[in-house]
Amino acid sequence: MSTPSHVTTGAASGGPGTDVLRIAGLVKRFNGVPALGGVDLAVAPGEVHGLLGANGCGKSTLIKTLAGVHDADEGQVSVLGKEVAMPFGADGLRAHGLSFVHQDLGLADAATVVEHFALDGISSKGAVARIPWAQQRRRVADLLERFEVAIDPDARIDQLTPVNRAMVAIVRAVASQEQLREESGGERTAQLLILDEPTVFLPKADVDILFGLVDRLRQQGDSVLFVSHDLDEVLEFCDRVTVLRDGKLAGTRDVAGLQRSELVELILGVQIGDVQRPTDDHRARPEVALATSGLTGDMVKGVDLTIHPGEVVGVTGLAGSGIEEITDLIYGVRPAKHGTVSVAGEVVKHPTPSAMMSRHVVLLPADRKTLGSAPRLTVLENMSLPFLSQDFKGGRLNWKRMKSRAEEATKRLRVKPQDTSALFSSLSGGNQQKALLGKWLDTKPAVMLLAEPSQGVDVGARQEIFRLVREAVGEGASVLCATSDYEQLVQLADRVLIFADGRIRGELVGDQITKDALTTAIYAGVAA
Amino acid sequence: MSKTTTVPAGGVRLKKQREPERFALIGVWIAVIIFFSFATDRFMTEGNISSLLGSQAVLLILALGLLLPLRVGDFDLSVASTLGLSAMLVAILNVEHGWNVWLAALFAILVGCVIGLVNGVVVVRWNINPFIVTLGMSTFIQGVIFWVSKSNTISGIDPVLSDFVLQETIFGVPADFWYALIVAAVIWYVFEFTPLGQRFLFVGQSQDMARLNGIAVSRTRVLALVASGGIAALAGVVLAGSTGSADPNSAASFLMPAFAACFLGTTVLKIGRFNPWGTVIALYFIGTGTTGLQLLGAQNYVQQLFYGAALIIAVILAEVLRKRNARRLQNVARQAALAAAKSGDGSTSNTKDNA
Repeated sequence: MSTPSHVTTGAASGGPGTDVLRIAGLVKRFNGVPALGGVDLAVAPGEVHGLLGANGCGKSTLIKTLAGVHDADEGQVSVLGKEVAMPFGADGLRAHGLSFVHQDLGLADAATVVEHFALDGISSKGAVARIPWAQQRRRVADLLERFEVAIDPDARIDQLTPVNRAMVAIVRAVASQEQLREESGGERTAQLLILDEPTVFLPKADVDILFGLVDRLRQQGDSVLFVSHDLDEVLEFCDRVTVLRDGKLAGTRDVAGLQRSELVELILGVQIGDVQRPTDDHRARPEVALATSGLTGDMVKGVDLTIHPGEVVGVTGLAGSGIEEITDLIYGVRPAKHGTVSVAGEVVKHPTPSAMMSRHVVLLPADRKTLGSAPRLTVLENMSLPFLSQDFKGGRLNWKRMKSRAEEATKRLRVKPQDTSALFSSLSGGNQQKALLGKWLDTKPAVMLLAEPSQGVDVGARQEIFRLVREAVGEGASVLCATSDYEQLVQLADRVLIFADGRIRGELVGDQITKDALTTAIYAGVAA
Repeated sequence: MSKTTTVPAGGVRLKKQREPERFALIGVWIAVIIFFSFATDRFMTEGNISSLLGSQAVLLILALGLLLPLRVGDFDLSVASTLGLSAMLVAILNVEHGWNVWLAALFAILVGCVIGLVNGVVVVRWNINPFIVTLGMSTFIQGVIFWVSKSNTISGIDPVLSDFVLQETIFGVPADFWYALIVAAVIWYVFEFTPLGQRFLFVGQSQDMARLNGIAVSRTRVLALVASGGIAALAGVVLAGSTGSADPNSAASFLMPAFAACFLGTTVLKIGRFNPWGTVIALYFIGTGTTGLQLLGAQNYVQQLFYGAALIIAVILAEVLRKRNARRLQNVARQAALAAAKSGDGSTSNTKDNA
């Protein structure tokens, strides 16, 4: 592999034991394109091992391969020194003792804690066997006590705080592995818990609580693979860390004595300097197209931002930094907890999509299939939606005019096929996005809110989308583009706001906006 | 594949899709009619046809009203009880309280709208599944019907009403059939040519998507339920007129065939969409089947077998056809896109692509 790995077995394992999990040269290709180009990873017994990397580095592909979602193409995987034959099957390495807690936790809101634990017992028994509830409750109470988790076993999941939910998921995953071990008669399996970004939405205090639990697991000899993008959490809580970059191993390091800058270097593959200070030229313009003041939602906390006419403002940050929410909050998809949105200097009292639309603010949502369009309806119907009132003349909809408008737009935007009577779902991702963009451009918007506008869009369409956005900006529109795609911001944005932990933590302007500067600023923002 | 995709100069254009499936039910209907006209000589008589068309009119109006909430993506299970209550109100107000029959009818329709309004407000205010709300409402109204009628059939409604809905015939067919067609035409117009119809359609596809596009989703859903309540009550008035009386037990039997007609209607003319003319055809297809079987001497329970089976088959058929259709359109679109790419943006080429 490109970089030699620095595996130091036994540093934290309390003796030269066999690795719980050892992966060598793992390759996974999608349509011939490698997402994992030969990854090595070794997790020792009793260690908390961090797995880091920038967006698209292959972290999630690796975890999904271990969980049995994808089948690897090449490589060896061994558990406790014994090689596991590939493919692993739908259950992945669970039968070998790995347990997984993903970001979404896999809990049902309306069920209680005990019911969740009972579920793991039930599935192995007969469907009509009586569930010994009293015994189950005792067992769960014991488990929670053992791991020093203060949660009422009878509480419903939706009554728990986010961190308690995460802890329930973790204890449940560990307990179900223990149960499996007991039932299999003590056959030796790995005791490895894989935590796939469980802290993304948690505040710092809760992260500490969560890692208290992780520490107790470590004390009883379990290993934990902690998948994250948060350098500080890894530096604070892990024994060793493995960094992936572009689907390959960038390196494995002991955390003790590891410098933050070295870790960033591993993630980026380049040396970094200081974050450049932004200049003020764009903000100097007096007119304001859109502004927020103290805008607060579930993730976004007290954001003040200003967009000037003819300006493309990018918003970027890590998952959970608030970039997923900012456009929705401005557009009034959900009511903000605090703060205001003003358009052209006027505060919008209750921002709702229709209120924003009437002020010529439009949103291109990230979820094109369920929020952006009605895939089962035709292209024409989808594109005509903003013009229904306008084209209702003399008691009937003027379909002819709607059709010629849609056809003109599809022609100008080179949407293929140009037949507007085709079902929307029959267009490719790029053409769908162009059609939706065309729909909004025809309304002559003052401000366009774009959420991940080139997600799932092919390269050609991507460039055309950028061109169209630039054209609209040339005609005086403003754009707020929230994305984790740095390349896109380099091409599109006049100014980029760096989000971390729901707040604006940095700003890059004009020529400062480069891919490296963005990545650096994002990780610097997390540290701030 | 025998489809032809033409790529004329200047761009990619798809040939209009024929979709023969959308006429399939009409073909089956004709076959059924032919079968019954040979199987029994009582089928193809003027009397039978006229009575078939007329007797289904109440059901047809009810089904057409039901289309509105279905188009919005909501179920309304209270329409049949609303119909029953409306007929009962006309009877009681006219016969027992001496109201003018037209005034009674107007009042009954108003009550229907109020029922829809209550349904709608409960659904959107507390975000409850309309299936449950209208199921509860349906039972509640049925209770009210028994209560106000003391479980008696009330007869003796002013014959002016029955003259208007039944005795008047146009082309030998009772007037209520033509009223039902007028309702169908109005709903068709609303669906096809008004912003309201498009909003109904989009809300039914995805409420979140509709909201992001500035549609007042809650208001639209309430409106659809108010309309279905009002139209169900109108059907009740027609029922009261055609029988001259109101039977507290008559309403429930209307629910299943109305749903069957609406769902079977989505396989006709506009596949995958609730549409009024499809509903008209589906309903008379079902009516033809049950009437014919009864003429052949089948028992009454055949009706229920027929309605129940029709509903289930309809939903399966609608889904299968929709998927097939979507897949085919996707294929055609892909080919067209490929052809366009091959011919350098389709600007010069006029190749015919016979796959």
